[in-house]
Amino acid sequence: MKKVYIVCATGIATSSMLRVKIDDFLHENGLDAVISQYRIAELTPDRIDADVIIATTEVPPEIKEAAYCINGLPLLTGVGESVVFDELEKILNEK
Amino acid sequence: MESILSVIGEFINNLGSTIVMPIIITVLGLILGMKFSKALRSGLTIAVAFVGIFLTVGLLGENMGVLGTAFAERTGTGLDIIDIGWPAAAAIAFGTPVGNLIIPIGIVLNLVLLLLGLTKTLDIDVWNYWHQAFIGSVVAYITGSVGLGLIAAAVNVIMALFLADWSQPLIEKYFKLPGVSFPHLQSAGYMLLAAPFAALFRKIPFLAKMNLDPDTIRKRLGILGEPIFLGLIIGVLLAAFAGQDVQGILTTGINIAAVMVLIPRMVSLLVEGLSPIATAASQFMSKKFPGREFFIGLDSAVLIGSPSVIASGLLMIPVEIGLALLLVPLGNRTLPFIDLADGVFVTAMIAPLVAGDVLLTTLLGGIVMGIGMIFTTILSPAVTAMVEAAGSVDIPAGYANYTVLSDGAIPHSYIFYYIFQSPVAIALIISAVLLVGQYFLTKKYPMGEKIFKIEEKAE
Repeated sequence: MKKVYIVCATGIATSSMLRVKIDDFLHENGLDAVISQYRIAELTPDRIDADVIIATTEVPPEIKEAAYCINGLPLLTGVGESVVFDELEKILNEK
Repeated sequence: MESILSVIGEFINNLGSTIVMPIIITVLGLILGMKFSKALRSGLTIAVAFVGIFLTVGLLGENMGVLGTAFAERTGTGLDIIDIGWPAAAAIAFGTPVGNLIIPIGIVLNLVLLLLGLTKTLDIDVWNYWHQAFIGSVVAYITGSVGLGLIAAAVNVIMALFLADWSQPLIEKYFKLPGVSFPHLQSAGYMLLAAPFAALFRKIPFLAKMNLDPDTIRKRLGILGEPIFLGLIIGVLLAAFAGQDVQGILTTGINIAAVMVLIPRMVSLLVEGLSPIATAASQFMSKKFPGREFFIGLDSAVLIGSPSVIASGLLMIPVEIGLALLLVPLGNRTLPFIDLADGVFVTAMIAPLVAGDVLLTTLLGGIVMGIGMIFTTILSPAVTAMVEAAGSVDIPAGYANYTVLSDGAIPHSYIFYYIFQSPVAIALIISAVLLVGQYFLTKKYPMGEKIFKIEEKAE
């Protein structure tokens, strides 16, 4: 199963909001993934074991090299959500 | 008006927040057009989160109550007021009568202000109304009136929207985030206090020359960014200074690490419960204003990935500990603790004031937190009473004192604590004057345009 990291400043607030929306999306589309939440400050390249990282905030360059990153801000604002979901779905469906 | 509000407050108080909050959230969800099952799930999730949070806050109390006093006595520092941290404080604030009502109040006020054209911010971050709930609860404690607490909270809902509008151009330019604003007192509040100092610093040439590299700091101090390690280190140090034996030291270290990891896990459940409400609220509000352009009001957590913000946020850990010790002669008794982990909220909106200079951002952070710490000490009786009322911690009289470093240090918390100690009419007049003042700043001196202009830099 694919691993998805949801990353925000605290690993509590905005990442949990994203999590609710992503869980709903996966459920409605019959997709499955292992989801974990992290704080941006605790994420180092050697700790990353993810197929995709969705972050609500800016991601340092060394993290971008370690995994595929999606800007999750549209899921917070509600503007342009489908673009994020499409990108996520594409990655989850990759073999 | 005030007495009606107080009757409502008393009714809520008697039922208990774990019952009232889910009911209010479920009803609010239905009004906002959610399906009953979804609204009910939101309400229930919040109730469950409350139960979990209060259990873990109890764990913190058990470990810290005695430790704090022993630490203060043995070291002779007098730092005997424990910082319970914002995650616990958020739940406790939402659990007060003011907190139970703050979300509907916030949504209605935001709608009214949008209708009147007084704000451009559509705040969908209902979670962060807890800061206003905190201020309101402090006021309710000091005045003994839930009604006045609700009024103070409402004033600060408006204040936060004005602050968001004020800072929006600067935030957009610095972080390159169009269309959003940050009515988040935990960052915008500090920014207001830091602004005059920042203006001064920008006039002092040699200060801006000491370029600290954010990436080096981030890599060196990175381990402190992990609550599990920060908790262990701080727990061990505290216990050692408090004179515990080796077993005691290790147990305390592990327990504090547990607190730092567990409370946030529980709080994320609270956010999960609130999230569908936030979505429904934003859809409901945008529908009322078709075709209008808004700034969508978000959590300042969105800004925190910026390297300067993280680096200066990590530097705030030693700065806050140093300040706590230095400020003892000035009356500080606050021992910075759980909120050490989240200095980034202090620096998030200060960094753009000094173009992201790490040293200056940390200096400004030190100034606002230094001033703030004196007041977190003064607010301690109010916070201790709130913790006690949450019912999760058994506090032996005169033994343990609690405060919240992050929110006690927000200028609006202590300013309104004092304002509402004057007679009601005067408190209301001062509040109105402050609101008009902030609105004037927002209209006449937009940040990033009239003041704190950002020079366009090549990447």
